[in-house]
Parts: sequence; C-alpha cells; structure tokens
Amino acid sequence: MTATPAATQTGGAPAGAVASGRVAVVEPVRRKAVRGAGLVVAAVWLAVPLVPLVLWAVANRWSFPAVLPTDWGLDGWRGGLRQGAPAALARSTGLGLLVAALATPTGAAAGRALALHRVPAARVVAAVLLVPVAVPPFAVVMGLSQVALHLRVPPAAGVVTVLAVAAVPYTTYVMRAAYAGYDTGFEEEARSLGATPRHVLLRVHLPMVAPALAAAAFLAFLVAWSDYVVTLVLGGGALVTLPLLAGALAAGSGNDATVAAVSVAAVLPPTALLLLTTLVARRTSRLPRLPRRSARSGAVGR
Amino acid sequence: MSGGAMSGGQGPAAPAGLRLAGLTRWFPGAAEPTLDRLDLGVPATGCVALLGPSGSGKSTALRLVAGLDTPDDGDVLVAGRSLRGVPTERRRTAMVFQRPRLFPHLDVLDNVAFPLAVAGARARRARTDARRFLDLVGLADLARRRPASLSGGQEQRVALARALAARPDVLLLDEPFSALDPGLRTEMHELVCELRAAVEPTILLVTHDRREAAVLADTVAVLLDGRIAQHDTVSGLYTRPASMAVHRFLGGRNAVPGTVVGREHRSALGVLRLPPGDGPDGPGTLVVRQEALTLLAPGDPSADVVGTVRDVVRTGPRAAVEVEVSGAVVVCEVGPHDSPRRGDAAGVRIPLAQRHVLPDVPGSRQAAAEAAARPADSSDPTDETAGARPA
Repeated sequence: MTATPAATQTGGAPAGAVASGRVAVVEPVRRKAVRGAGLVVAAVWLAVPLVPLVLWAVANRWSFPAVLPTDWGLDGWRGGLRQGAPAALARSTGLGLLVAALATPTGAAAGRALALHRVPAARVVAAVLLVPVAVPPFAVVMGLSQVALHLRVPPAAGVVTVLAVAAVPYTTYVMRAAYAGYDTGFEEEARSLGATPRHVLLRVHLPMVAPALAAAAFLAFLVAWSDYVVTLVLGGGALVTLPLLAGALAAGSGNDATVAAVSVAAVLPPTALLLLTTLVARRTSRLPRLPRRSARSGAVGR
Repeated sequence: MSGGAMSGGQGPAAPAGLRLAGLTRWFPGAAEPTLDRLDLGVPATGCVALLGPSGSGKSTALRLVAGLDTPDDGDVLVAGRSLRGVPTERRRTAMVFQRPRLFPHLDVLDNVAFPLAVAGARARRARTDARRFLDLVGLADLARRRPASLSGGQEQRVALARALAARPDVLLLDEPFSALDPGLRTEMHELVCELRAAVEPTILLVTHDRREAAVLADTVAVLLDGRIAQHDTVSGLYTRPASMAVHRFLGGRNAVPGTVVGREHRSALGVLRLPPGDGPDGPGTLVVRQEALTLLAPGDPSADVVGTVRDVVRTGPRAAVEVEVSGAVVVCEVGPHDSPRRGDAAGVRIPLAQRHVLPDVPGSRQAAAEAAARPADSSDPTDETAGARPA
C-alpha cells in the first residue's frame, strides 16, 4: 500500500481515496464535501440504469428520437398482469422466503460453530462453504439436473435446495462475523439470573444477533430472488419466477413496456426488505438512544 | 411459568450459607489441578473474599459454584443441600462479572426486570420490582436509558441491582470492580456495604485486590496455586500470616531469619520477645508488617532496634524506609511528616503484638532471604494500584 496513513482517514469516500495524499490535509469541511460527492456518485451509479426502466414502465409508446416517452400510460403494467406477473411475483417471493428460511439458520449454526467453537479443520470447512460461490452455478446445475431427474426430485424442491446451498456461504459469513464479536458471557450471565436455555435463546441470544440474522436472511432472499439459471434448468420451466418471466418477455414479445413493468416489480420487494432489515438493525443496534430525562441524571454513579 | 426455575424468587431471599467441600478441578491436559480440594464456608448473610493472584483458580471456583463448570471432585452446598447436577439457572447463585454484561437490547429497567421476567412474572410486576432495586443502587433516574449510554460505574451498579433482583441464595462477585477507576471503585465498595446492610445477601467475592477484600469481606481466604493458604480475618492475615507465601502475597516486606529460643527470636536484629503462644523453639523467620513499625529518632529509648537508613522510597504521601540493622534490613512505612535521609541513624519500634514467627520448613529460609533482599526500586507491593493490576 502506498497510501499515506492520513489518506486512509478519508475512507468511505472513494473519490477522496483516489485523489491520494492531497486530500489528507484538507479541513473537515472539504472532507465532508468529498464524502457527499462520493455518495452522489454512488446514487447516480445505482439510479441511472433504473431511469429508462421506470420511464418505459409508464410509457405506452416511446419512439426513437424522443427524449421522453411520446405516449404515457399503464399499458406495460396491464401487459404484465396478462402475462401472469402477479403469480410470478408470488412464486419469487415464496422461493426467496423459503431459501432464506433454510439458509439463515444453517448459516447461523455454521457461523456460531466457526466463530465460537473449536471446529476440526476449520479452514477446510470454511473453504468448502465457499465453494458454491466460487463454482459457476450453471456448471453445478447442469450436472445436478441429471441427478435430480434420476432421483425424481420434484423440480421446485430441487430449485429450493440448490439455491439454499448457494445462499449458505453468504449467511455463514455474515453470521460468523457477527458471532466473532459476540460474548457468550451474556448467556452465562442470563443463566445465572435464572434463565433456562430456551429463555437464553429467545431473550438474549436471538435479540443480540438479530441485526446480523436480518442481514443474512436478506442476502439469502436475494440469492433466490435474482436467480435465473438454477430456476430455469432445475425447475424445467415448471417454476416461473419473475426473472424467468422477464427473460421470456424480453426474448419473445418485444413489448418493452411490459418487460419494464415486470422488471420494476422485481426491484420493489428487495428494496422494501432492505428498508426493513435496516430498520431492524437500527432498532436493535447498540447505539445509545436519546435519554428521556435531562442530562443531570447522568451524574449519578459517576 | 418457566419450569419453576425461580419460583421461590418472588419473596425475600432466605439467606443461606454456602459451603465448598473438597472442590477439585483438573482441566484436561494441565499438569496440576487448577483447584485442589478447596474447602471454604460462607455463613448466611456473610461475605467471604477469595483473594488470589491471577491464575490462582479463584474464578474457576466461582464458575463451579455457579454451575458454569463441573468439578472433577467435591461438592457445592447451599443451605446444606448439594448442588451436584443442578443446572446454573436453578442454583439461585446470581453472578456479577468484571464486565457488567447488561443486555444491550434491553433498557436499564428491563435489564433489572430480567430475572423476574424469566421466572414467569408479568412484565408490569417485574418492572415495578426492578424499580425498587434500581432505587437501591441509586439509579432510578436512568430506568429507561440504554446500557450503552451509561458510564462504567453506572453499568456495574445496574449489574448489581439485576443480580439482587434475582433473589439469589448466594451472590457471586467475580472481580466486579477491578475495571473501574480507583475513585469509582471506592464508591462501589461503599455501595456494596450499603447493600449488605439493606438486603443481607450471602456473598462470595473473588478479587486480586487486597484492599477490596479487606473493605468488603468479613473474612478473607487467600488462594495460592489452587489451594487455600489461609482463611482468616483481615487483621489475622496481615499480622499472623500462615506461611511466607501468604506474607509475601499480602505485600509483607519484613522477613528476618533467626531462631526461636524460649519465646524470644534471635537474629541480626538482636533478641526480640514474642507475643504469647507464638512460635515453637527452633529456626524461624520473624515476619512483621512494615505498616506496624515506627521509625524513631536516633537515641529514642523506646527503639527495639537501631540502625542506619539505607534507602527511602516515596509512594505518594507515604514512604518505605529501609533501615539496615547489622546486616539485616527492616522496612518501615512512614507518613508525610517523616522525611529521613539516606545515611541517617534511626531507631525502629516493633510492637510486641505485631511480631510473628514462621517456623522454618526446608527451603523457606531461602524464600525469606529473597523477601528481605527484594530490591527497593521495584514497584511497591503495598501500593493498591500495583496490586490491582492483573499480571
């Protein structure tokens, strides 16, 4: 690393980090400005691809040279409804929730074991857990579909299982990091205060790792939500999720408005979930809540 | 209800005595047992301190009492009943650790209400009850605060209130104040004394801080290398240590080898009379607290020994004065009014009741010599902050 120690203090603002040493000596105001600019860049980066999509979703017609749609309307959404988008949305949501429900507890158990207990050959175990991320999914799926066919595994069950396995590395990593900073002394304290193992789990353990659990579940949900290949190959077309519907529409119909409407519909649930998990994380975070009483009570016991 | 784990916890705590009987813990792979046949009694409503250096096994003893670890041999008895096989949550032995470990997702009041809540009480009742205990530790104002917004002292107060709210038969304190500043620690000691007067819990305290043990406990058990070296009152420990190891662990600096003949100790210091009942005849080392000695002006007729000041080490308002007496060295602690200089002639009075002789056992002669010859520039072992620092 050639970065000066001071330059690393601007961490969090990619633009500042690129500008190197000179940024290091600027006053906090400019550092703040740099960070603000970085946020704007990040926001634009994320939003730009969505702008034409959102416009298309409310365009009945958008002829080539026009900057904005030439005829506004909800034809795209009506098209989506006709093509079975609500059912696909429900299938995607169900798949995401199911995969999250399977991968999150598994990841939590593996993460806790790796972080808090002596796991034999822990490095090997961690490496094996990472394999589904490293190996391209279609390579695995092509082989697996043969096996699944032979074993007569129901397509939906196959999809759920494979996606859950693919999501476990992410959940394990999130939970392992969470448990690395987790003090089991809290559980001992709770037991010495009369809490049964069940109480310890429900009243101490789970609440304390809740933000990490929410993050892990969100990641697992996303793995299933955005999957195309596994659902297509293992599902054999029987499980039409939103990505499959959008893909089919984009390849076949040529109705850009409908494709856009379906795609926008695909963005909304994860965004809602992201907001939800952020709220959970904030509510249970260790940040001090503003005291209800005046500050003078803070003097007690000092 | 939660299986009645704390079902008896609704009423006032019935003070119960605690007994550790032959408690032994030998961790797999260790060359020596961490605890070796520990016998210790804490009378109901009493407070006993288990005092020992780091690694002496004192925290292990507490974990065995709490049921967080299983002894290889021996038993823990509360009110005469064995706790063998009783899980932690049903032992009624609330523990306060060095880290307060307030549950971060609960506010202060709900932390204190936790024991009653898990015992099956309704939230409202548990909170009403918790307020009483918060009041007891003087933090009623902070009830709805998050633990993260509290200072270290406040956190430990809440932890104490929470432990007491569990109505434990025995309150276990595992170095609860050693992470606090000295001033704050003194405040917490006062609080514990107040709590003892108010709720009369039976307390087993583990600490490496001699001062803390002396202030809080009725009696102190010195734990060295997994065994109880001596269990006595504070003054008993300091004046009549059972062994050179105890004397040195408690910061005693005077150990003069000699011989006991007919209730007199003969050494480089001359012939010193011994208090009644002290020391059998034969080789023995005179031990006496440096705080018990008085430095006198040369020629003072009440001096028991006379010598030359070899060194003066100031430790704040007090100073340790080393006086050389015909080859032997006597360390004498003086207050701010005394300022002897190196090379001065000086007398030292050694009060009769403070003299104690430890009969020599093979090998102890050398230990005594080492104790006497300890270099003066090493950190003063009587300094409480030095004693409080974990090794």
